Amino acid sequence: MSEETKNESAAGKYLTFALAQEEYGVPVLKVREIIKMMDITGVPQVPSHVKGVINLRGKVIPIVDLRLKFNLPVEDSTERTCIIVVEVELQARRVMLGMVVDYVSEVLNISSDEIEPMPDFGERLDTEYMQGVAKVKGTVKLLLDLDKVLSTDTVFARAA
Amino acid sequence: MDHTREVFCSEIEHRLGRIACDAILDPSPEVVAAQVEAVAADLDAAGMADAAGRLRALAHEPIEQLGARLKTEWSDWRAHDELRGDVDALGGDAELSSMFVAEALDHLGTIEATLLRLEEAPDDKTLLNDVFRPFHTVKGNAGALGLVTVQHFAHTVESLLDRCRSGRHPVGSVEIDIVLKSVDLLTALITDIAERSAGATGKNLRAERLSLIEALEELMANGSSVNRQPKPASDAPFILEPTPAAAPAVPIRPEAAPAEAPSASTSASPTTAPAAMPSAPAPRAAAPMTAGGPPAPPAATNQAPASAQPAGSRESAIDATVKVDTRKLDGLVDMVGELVILQSLIHESPALARIGDERLTRNLAQLRRITTDLQRGAMSMRMVPIRQTFQKMSRLVRDLSRKSGKQVELTLVGEDTELDRKVVEDINDPLMHMIRNSMDHGIESAEKRAAAGKREVGHMWLRAFHQGGSIIIEVADDGGGLNKERILAKAVAQGIVSPDQKLTDDEIHQLIFKPGFSTAEKVTEISGRGVGMDVVRRNIDALRGRIEIASTQGAGTTISIKLPLTLAILDGLIIASGSERYVIPTFAVRESLRPTPAQVHCIQQVPRLVQVRDRLVPLIWLSDLFDTGAPRVDASEATVVVVEDETRLVGLVVDRLVGKQEVVVKSLGDAFAGVRGVAGGAILGDGRIGLILDAHGIVTLIDDSDVAAPAA
Repeated sequence: MSEETKNESAAGKYLTFALAQEEYGVPVLKVREIIKMMDITGVPQVPSHVKGVINLRGKVIPIVDLRLKFNLPVEDSTERTCIIVVEVELQARRVMLGMVVDYVSEVLNISSDEIEPMPDFGERLDTEYMQGVAKVKGTVKLLLDLDKVLSTDTVFARAA
Repeated sequence: MDHTREVFCSEIEHRLGRIACDAILDPSPEVVAAQVEAVAADLDAAGMADAAGRLRALAHEPIEQLGARLKTEWSDWRAHDELRGDVDALGGDAELSSMFVAEALDHLGTIEATLLRLEEAPDDKTLLNDVFRPFHTVKGNAGALGLVTVQHFAHTVESLLDRCRSGRHPVGSVEIDIVLKSVDLLTALITDIAERSAGATGKNLRAERLSLIEALEELMANGSSVNRQPKPASDAPFILEPTPAAAPAVPIRPEAAPAEAPSASTSASPTTAPAAMPSAPAPRAAAPMTAGGPPAPPAATNQAPASAQPAGSRESAIDATVKVDTRKLDGLVDMVGELVILQSLIHESPALARIGDERLTRNLAQLRRITTDLQRGAMSMRMVPIRQTFQKMSRLVRDLSRKSGKQVELTLVGEDTELDRKVVEDINDPLMHMIRNSMDHGIESAEKRAAAGKREVGHMWLRAFHQGGSIIIEVADDGGGLNKERILAKAVAQGIVSPDQKLTDDEIHQLIFKPGFSTAEKVTEISGRGVGMDVVRRNIDALRGRIEIASTQGAGTTISIKLPLTLAILDGLIIASGSERYVIPTFAVRESLRPTPAQVHCIQQVPRLVQVRDRLVPLIWLSDLFDTGAPRVDASEATVVVVEDETRLVGLVVDRLVGKQEVVVKSLGDAFAGVRGVAGGAILGDGRIGLILDAHGIVTLIDDSDVAAPAA
């Protein structure tokens, strides 16, 4: 797939949210709902960024803290902290997952010419779960490839 | 399929056979390729272009395999071609078709079970009718849908059944055998057509079907149980109408011999029959048999009260049921579970308690009652009787008995015991392994039994019953029992236990569940590879069940499986540790106590043991085990929950007990499949999730890690 077509397919509506003053975006089509931060039940033997599970109307949903996942400084949750529930593919199965973010900003329509592929930082920066960078109104939004961010090796229990 | 086409097809088959011969005698690729092309051209001309294409594609295969490949390809195509109409017919109306398939498979299952009973009482006309009726229904439905091949095959079998029913043909083991095989084939055929219509490649069942048809027709033509192996069907003619054989049926065994009668008459009757005949099925108290002699069928005696009911009342019970997609049912059960939780949330809400309105309180109590009833009702819908599984097992015993030459009777008890649908599904494999094991290792050969002064016919029991809040399923045999010395010696030889280890009887018995463990001197077709019993253990563990073995050397073995009534709901003890709450299944809890300082024993200054009556139990802090980061409470301040896994006890130190509650078990999902010591999640009264602890996982977790040794 050439970079151009990749950008084209990446164009569309994105839900943007903040993590430690950085702006991120995820495709709106993958977002199931946004809920307020709630008590999370910890699960043992999992990586630290997997906070545990919550009960979403009778469904058990794993929660990933994106700050921990991206090695950003940890902060206590605030009024605006929330959980974005997304649907991703884990081992060829669609599962619901929650991501803890600082706050949700807005839904943006991002066109293909606003998206640039992620520059290569070589060894210094792990960009494998970045789909690209969007420049919208002078700010930079990092577009996440959700399937990669929440891919199996990061969510599955270590003991597996 | 019309006659000319049939002739054409058999001609093609001949020509392919000739090509195969030529390819071997005179391996000249050009000549052979030209011959294949000629056949393909004829096929093209006959409008069978797809077959021609398939053969052409093979023309350049290595010449040594070409002949065989061509034949297989042609036969696969024939199978495909023959079923084409059936597949199309089934693909026509998706809903109608899936109904037909489900119903037909259901019927065939019933027929199989009835046949096994018929084998024991071959003269029971009611049973024969019970076989005939559903068979006729399957045939009729297949015909109505346009499944010509299925209908034709079913028709041939039905003709035989009809002759038996009208007394023009005897019912013997050969007949039962062939009808059983036909039922198997019909099941496979219908499944195959369903799969083909869903786009799968499908299996080639044609040869098997044709040879069965031929065998059926020959059986009818001869009118007696001639023991002949069905010929390979490669050259079997495809006859559309069964030949109306008018040969009189020659009964080879007394028609009216009751099943329980002594077998003097039957044992004599085979001698009057042609030499090739097998003996008629020996009634239960069978004449002495030598190993390797004609195998006799096992007797499946039904002792459950419902099975004694007349057929009519059973049928009306079936009529009153509705088939529901299991996903819908599970969804309903899930939702009811949520309703129950929400109801209790409202019920315990402090805001409501402040209102203190009498009418409201009364209505709430009513709501609670109805919710509880609703929950019970929803749960009971997941429950199905274990009958079908047991019937499958009686077929298994019958087949194994034939294979091994050991004569075995099987008694089924409590087939109407209801279990969770999931349990019934998952109990199938373990039961199968246990029965194989009993047949192979438990039941001795007839000579050995005779030498030990036992009845030569082995006896097995399959029992299901309720006991307390659990369901017990037992597989028992009156065989040789477990040989403790041999098991121990074998375990030592295999390095599973060390030679100086002292084991209790129970511990020795449990050794048979170790992976790779087998005491069989030789691997037989039935068992002995050392897989099997560990599968049993694993499956039963997954069902939250337990296995107990009682065995008396020389007198037999009873393996009991204790299972929870339902998997969806668990009776749990809720405990608090740090900020989290956990659920421990009550069946795994031996007791809980607030230990006095005198009960806690230290090793190297670290409290590690607690004395519970006369036993010393290792202590483990739940916060250490799960690394929650919560500060460790002092053992004498805390509560110790003594958790039991098999024979091991562990004292789990927690902050306090919260209460007892029935919880709805939820899976944590694939993402947490590798987490050990946790069996799932439960939604607690406040809507949060509490992890359900798994006693076995906790014990193995302690073994593997060193969490039991905190820094002093």
